[in-house]
Parts: sequence; C-alpha cells; structure tokens
Amino acid sequence: MRSRVNRRDFLRFTALAAAPPIFDLKLPRGLDFTLQNSPTPQKYLIETMPGGVALLDYNNDGLLDIFLVNGGRLTSPMQVPEKFDRANPRYWNRLYRQNKDGSFTDVTEASGLANAGLGNYGMGVAVADYDNDGFPDLFVTNYGKNILYHNNGDGTFTDVTAKAGVAGGGWSVSAGFFDYDNDGHLDLFVTRYMEWDTKRSKACGGAWRTYCPPAEFPATTNLLYRNRGDGTFEDVSQKSGIAAKKGRALGVAFADYDDDGFMDFFVANDGMQQYLFHNNGNGTFTECGLECGAGLTADGKPMSGMGVVFQDYDNDGRPDIVVTVLPRENYTVFRNDGNGQFSYRSLETGLAALTSGSSGWGVGLEDFNNDGWKDLFVAQSHVLDNVERIDPSLHYLEKPLLAINSKGRFELADSGVAVPLAGRGAAFGDLNNDGWVDAVVTSLGGPPQVLINRRGNQHWLTIALHGTRTNRDGLGARVRVNGQIRFASTTGSYLSANDKRLHFGLGDSDTATVEVSWPSGVRQTLKDVRADQFLEIREPEQS
Amino acid sequence: MKHAILFLCLALQGVSPEGAQHMQAGVEAHKQGRFDLAIAEFRKATETDPNLAEAFLNLGAELMQIRDNGTAVAPLKRALELRPDLDAAHLQLGYALLSLGYAAEAIPHLERVHALEALGIAQIETGQYQEAVANLSDALVKRPNDPDLLYYLGRAGGLLSKRAIDTLLSVYPDSARSHQAMGENYFVLRQMPQAEQEYREALRQRPDIPGLQLELGLVYAGAAQWSKAEEAFRAEVKRQPASAEAAYRLGDALLKQGKVREARSELERADKLQPGMPETLYSLGKAASLDGDLALAEKSWTRVIALEKETSLAAQAHFGLAALYRKQGKTAEWQREMQEFKRLQNIIEPFRSEPK
Repeated sequence: MRSRVNRRDFLRFTALAAAPPIFDLKLPRGLDFTLQNSPTPQKYLIETMPGGVALLDYNNDGLLDIFLVNGGRLTSPMQVPEKFDRANPRYWNRLYRQNKDGSFTDVTEASGLANAGLGNYGMGVAVADYDNDGFPDLFVTNYGKNILYHNNGDGTFTDVTAKAGVAGGGWSVSAGFFDYDNDGHLDLFVTRYMEWDTKRSKACGGAWRTYCPPAEFPATTNLLYRNRGDGTFEDVSQKSGIAAKKGRALGVAFADYDDDGFMDFFVANDGMQQYLFHNNGNGTFTECGLECGAGLTADGKPMSGMGVVFQDYDNDGRPDIVVTVLPRENYTVFRNDGNGQFSYRSLETGLAALTSGSSGWGVGLEDFNNDGWKDLFVAQSHVLDNVERIDPSLHYLEKPLLAINSKGRFELADSGVAVPLAGRGAAFGDLNNDGWVDAVVTSLGGPPQVLINRRGNQHWLTIALHGTRTNRDGLGARVRVNGQIRFASTTGSYLSANDKRLHFGLGDSDTATVEVSWPSGVRQTLKDVRADQFLEIREPEQS
Repeated sequence: MKHAILFLCLALQGVSPEGAQHMQAGVEAHKQGRFDLAIAEFRKATETDPNLAEAFLNLGAELMQIRDNGTAVAPLKRALELRPDLDAAHLQLGYALLSLGYAAEAIPHLERVHALEALGIAQIETGQYQEAVANLSDALVKRPNDPDLLYYLGRAGGLLSKRAIDTLLSVYPDSARSHQAMGENYFVLRQMPQAEQEYREALRQRPDIPGLQLELGLVYAGAAQWSKAEEAFRAEVKRQPASAEAAYRLGDALLKQGKVREARSELERADKLQPGMPETLYSLGKAASLDGDLALAEKSWTRVIALEKETSLAAQAHFGLAALYRKQGKTAEWQREMQEFKRLQNIIEPFRSEPK
C-alpha cells in the first residue's frame, strides 16, 4: 500500500524530528546491578512487582548515590519456610556511591547493607533522616519483614529494625516518611498489597497461565508508625484510623492538600477505590476518597492504582494527584480544585489520550526542561509478561512515558529511551548537579536505566531545606518559587525515593522569590534570589 | 430432542386378539415405566400381526425411550412401509435418524411433520444454513426464550455468515469487501495493525463504502490511538452526515483527547440525529460537565437514568450527577446520587467496589 504524506503530515513529522530527546540513556561505570525478580511458571505475584530505587546522598559528599532493591530467588514451587537466597550476592540490595567523575562504586558490603534477610523478597525503599542526625536513613520494604537501616554517618548502616519496631510483615510495597503530627520527628507509612503468600498463590488466565488480578486475594491494612523521637516507633495504625480501611495498596504520596498545616496522603490501590487520607490534626485520619472526588474515575470506575505523585501540575498553588494505572484506564489526574475537593482531569490534560494503552508504575512530576511547569515521567510495562498472547494490542515491554507540561496540558516527548523495557521503580534527582533533573528507572530482569538530562538554556533553582524546629530535612515544608509550589518529600512514584532537594525550573527568570512554609508554622520569604544555584535554606530557630 | 411416544388406539381394524393383548400389555408396561417389558410386548405384537404399522411404531418409539435409536430405525421404517401416512412414525424416524447423524435422511421425515426445531438442526448439519435460519426463526416465534433454539439459530446464522464471507474471500480475494471482512476479523482478534492494514486497503480500492471509516476508527480507538480514530470518524461523518453513530464516535474520540467543546458539539448533533441513545447522552453529560455547562450535564445524565435502569451506564450517570452536586455543595442531592451509585455498583460489580 502506498502511503501519501500531505503538507500537514509533513509539518508534523518535521516538528517531531526537530524535538530532541530530553535525556541521554547512560550506563555509568560501576553501576553493575541487575534486578533479579526470578520469574517462575508458578506465576507468583511478587515476581512481577519489584523493585525500588532511591537517590540519596548517604555520605553527604554533595553527590547523589543510588540504592537499588533486589527481588530474590524463587523456586518453582517455593518451599516452606520461604527462603529467597538473599545471602547470595546476586540477590543483594545494592548501594552505589557516586564518584566525582560520575562513575559509581559498589559499597554494599562495606556499608553493611548486604544482609537483606533470608526470608525477604525485596520490594521498595524509603529514605529520610528519621533521627535528625543529618544523615539519610534507609527503610527497605519486603514481602516478608521490613528493615530499617540507620545511617551511622561514617559510611555504614546498622539494622535497627528490632529496636525501632517497624518490621511489619506480610507484603509491604511502597513506604515513606512524613511528620503527621508536626512534632519534628518523621513518622513512617507503609503500604501493604494484599493477603497473599506463595502457599496461597495461584495462576489465572486459563490456558494462558498468567498472574492473577488483585481481586483474587483478600485486601489488607496499611501501617502507620509514629516516631517517638528516641529511635523507636509506635504502631498507630489502629489508633489513627488507618487500619479501618483495608485496601490493596501499592503507592503512597504526601502533601497538605487543604492547607490546614497537617500532611495528608494519598494511597494508590490496585483494582479498587483509591484512598485519600485527610489528616484531622489530632493524630487521626479520615479517608475521604469518594467524598473528596479522588476515589474513582469520572465514570465512577475503580482503577488499578500503582504509582502516585502528589504535586502541583497546573501551578495554581495546590497539590494535585497523578496515579499510574493499567491500560484502558488512563493515567489519572485528580486536580485539586480547592476547598478539599478534587476533580478527574485526565481528559482535559491530554493524559488520557497519551496513556490509555499503557501500564504505569514509577512516576514523577518534575520540571525536566526548566520552563516552570512540571512534566510527567512514567516507568511503564504491563503486569503480565505474556500479555501479547492474551491481547495483541498490548505490550509487556514499554518505553517510559515522557510528557511535557504545556501550561497544564501534557504533550508527548522523546525520553531518549529507544528500547522498551519492563519498567517498575523510578526516582528523580539531579545526579550530576547541573541544575537539570535526571531519572533512574528499574527494569525487571535488567540493569537500571540512568537518564541524564541533556540540559537547555532555561534557568533553575534547587533548594535544600535545613529544618531546626521542623524535622532536619524540612520534609513537609511547602515551598513556593515564583508562583510554583512543591511539598518537600522524598516519597511518591512507586517503591522509590527521590532526591530530597526541591528543584524549580525558572524559565527566563534569572531571579526568584522563595517562600517557605515550614511544618512548624514558621514562614520565611527570600527575595531576589539568584537563579541557577543550589540554595540551602535554614529554618529560623525562633520566630 | 424429545422422544414423543404415541400409543395408538387399540380399536384397530384387523388386529388379532393376541396382538391386541400384547399392544395393551405394552402400553400398560410403558405407563409403569417398565420399558424393557413394553419393548418385549410390542415386539410380540409385531410378530403376531406383522402388518400392524402401529405395533412397529410403538416398538420403535419405545426403543427410543431407552435411547436405543439405532435399533429403533428398522421398526420405524417398517411402520412407514406399511402406512406411509403415519405422521407419528415420520416424526420418530426423523428424530432417530438425526440423532444417529443421518441428517439428510431425516430431513424429509421432519419436513413432512413440520418439526421445525429438529428440521433446522438437520439443515445446519447438511449445510442448508439459510433454510435452517428460516425454520429455527419460525420455531422461536412459538418458544421465544428456548435456550436450545436460541443456540441453534445463532449457530445457523453464524455459519451462514461464515459461508458468505468464505465465498467472498475465495472468489474475490483482493476485493475491497474481502479486505473489509478481514479487517473485521482481525479487529475481533484484537490484532490492530493487521486490521488497520486491511481497512486501509479496502479504503484505497473503494473509499465510497459507507461504514469503512467508522470501522477503521474503531480499530484505532481499540488501540487507544485517539487522534487517528478522530480522523477516521471525521471522514465517516463527512461521508454520512446523518449517521448518529458516526457523530457519537467522533464526539467520544474528541472527548478522549480532551477536546471538550468540539466533543460536545458533535455529541449534541448525535443526540439530535438519534435521540435517546444512552451512550451518546452519557458522553454528552461528560462533555458538558467538563465544559462547565452543569445544567446540560445534569439534564443529559438524568435522561440516561430514565432510559437505563440497573446497568453500569446508569451507575456512571449517578456518579456523574453526584460529582456535579458535590461541586455545587448540594449535599442532600450528592448523598442521594452516591447512594444510588453504590447500590448499583454492588449489583453490577460487587467484588470490585468493596475490598474483601
């Protein structure tokens, strides 16, 4: 069949060809990790769900390091008690220290992170300085028991799970630190997927034999731990009201959506209603997904929520929610309309048209081109590794989605990734400290994809918060720069933890006005701040 | 298929007393469910009175009662040799032959007694699909909800359709219609690139065929390629400006891309072309809501609810209304619609709405 190109098509092709990729795909020297998910004919659900990635500066040398969570070895079938061969270096989680030349050195063993727990199959990671000692700590979620690693400040970590009392159990997925009671100590929220184990596992799909949908297994509760400030945590899941809502949670993100001074959070549930937990300010939460308009699609349909980000995409000063889901569901935008109400905006933002055939996991709203609007990046791949046999129009391996934000409407762009992959976790941060946000994506059975931003000519400002009355890293602070806002958080995406620094694209502006609303209630304004710099803002110790 | 046993009047001309006795005994044994004894008695009757057609009929029918259709054929044929006008024997023999796979032989017998259901089935077996469709349709008039009839009618229709398409493909393999048929086939199999290729070729040959662009648009919609779907639906709308479906599909494709104003306009046009189409009204409600015309959204969704009762579309319309009232701060109305939405959700998809 002969294809004709008319003038309009020609112009469209020309325009596409003229837009270069935003990122260069790199495999930095020394980053030799492979995510071992160990797929089996048993179709154990855990094997299609890992793994997390964190961007953190664990040794405070000013360079972001990379922590990668590994799955484990699965046998077909698994024996009881379950062991995942985590003593084998092939299945270790890995910490890679970044060197000054951009290469990485594996410091897993030296840092004391080699022991991931023999009965643990790895999932995700959360990062924060929970004891306010100036060094970021690691919380690793597992199918099994979770592990809290305290950063000793000398390049090593210590497993303090037992003392802290945060081992949990069951199948934990994404997690994050936030200060829900504004006492200056970071608390911990852990999502759990469902009541499932390898004994109760089953395959679905008849002759196709594939992973079962979540509704095949009972829902379960999430976990909320209050930080007592002495290195221990109290399980307040019941007391806070969190445990009253069972779900099938995969993702979590924090923000104070109603500007009442208390951090709220959104939980992405798989195959059911999404949960928005409003912080009542008295140690309890009320789930208001349906009442607040952020529980179902505009058609009243549940969705397969996986990853989530809670930031302001339309620069109206209010944090919005983006949830990644399965094909035919459209990645969801819940726009914050104010007054505690959200509305479904996947259609108007153009996201529905871009994503209705894709499956999304890790997600970030970051200003990759520094034009002052947060763009969308999603790690993609279907859950089912044989989905093409079931539905030839869908694909297991997918390229990541990069959608540039054009004043609140998302438009497809070239991420620079040419080969489809089984994307899962995704973390965002400025790996090379050039003022342009980079990304790291994990891929089942493969190495991580490191996407280094190609840069442009726009201005930027990157802010590191130093809390004094607030927690040490100022997590939960609301920062406004030239009208844009961000909530300080390392949490969001799927299974992953982002650079704690707050990045703002400034477009043509070479100066900025910065307003910080600290969780302690202190408000701080800095005027005529020079663009293109890394700025540390210290919280005033007295108002 | 039912085994209709007909026990004939014993006051028959020329029957010997012994034969009549065996016939009577056979009938009694049958009434008591003692089928082997009945068979033995009717067999004796045929031996005593070898020209008694009714005795052969009863023997055959009784053999069919115990599902020994193979053995039943001979006495039934003999009954018809003796009395070719014996309709009950035609019926039984037709059933017996059909059950043994001799559909062609069964047809004349079934035709004679107008056993439409069995005749239709036999005609399916012999490839007379058109006749089968006619006979099964007639049978369905008398028994509208008979699952067997519905099944066989569907099967006959499908086979008739397949034969027509097979003929098309074999006689005119490279015709526009063949490519269209192949496109439909690939679409059903969700093989969208192949479906697209076939429709493109059909359109290249005969761009004038109504519905081709619509089908191509559905392929793109199935693959979530909304801008291409829009283009195809737009072409269909140009070809068939009075097609409500084309207008609806175009409106929906526009809506999927967030082109709210255009979507609304097209959906309003679809509603005018064919009022009372629930899908159109639902999408029109969405477009109007996104466009800020809450009155039209409310009106459209209310119309959906009036048309649809306990369906997922009705649930969606209630949810849309709930969101509308929530934004307007109308708490009572919001609660009412949410309650109805949840009720319908529990009826339609209970396992998805509430975590186990």
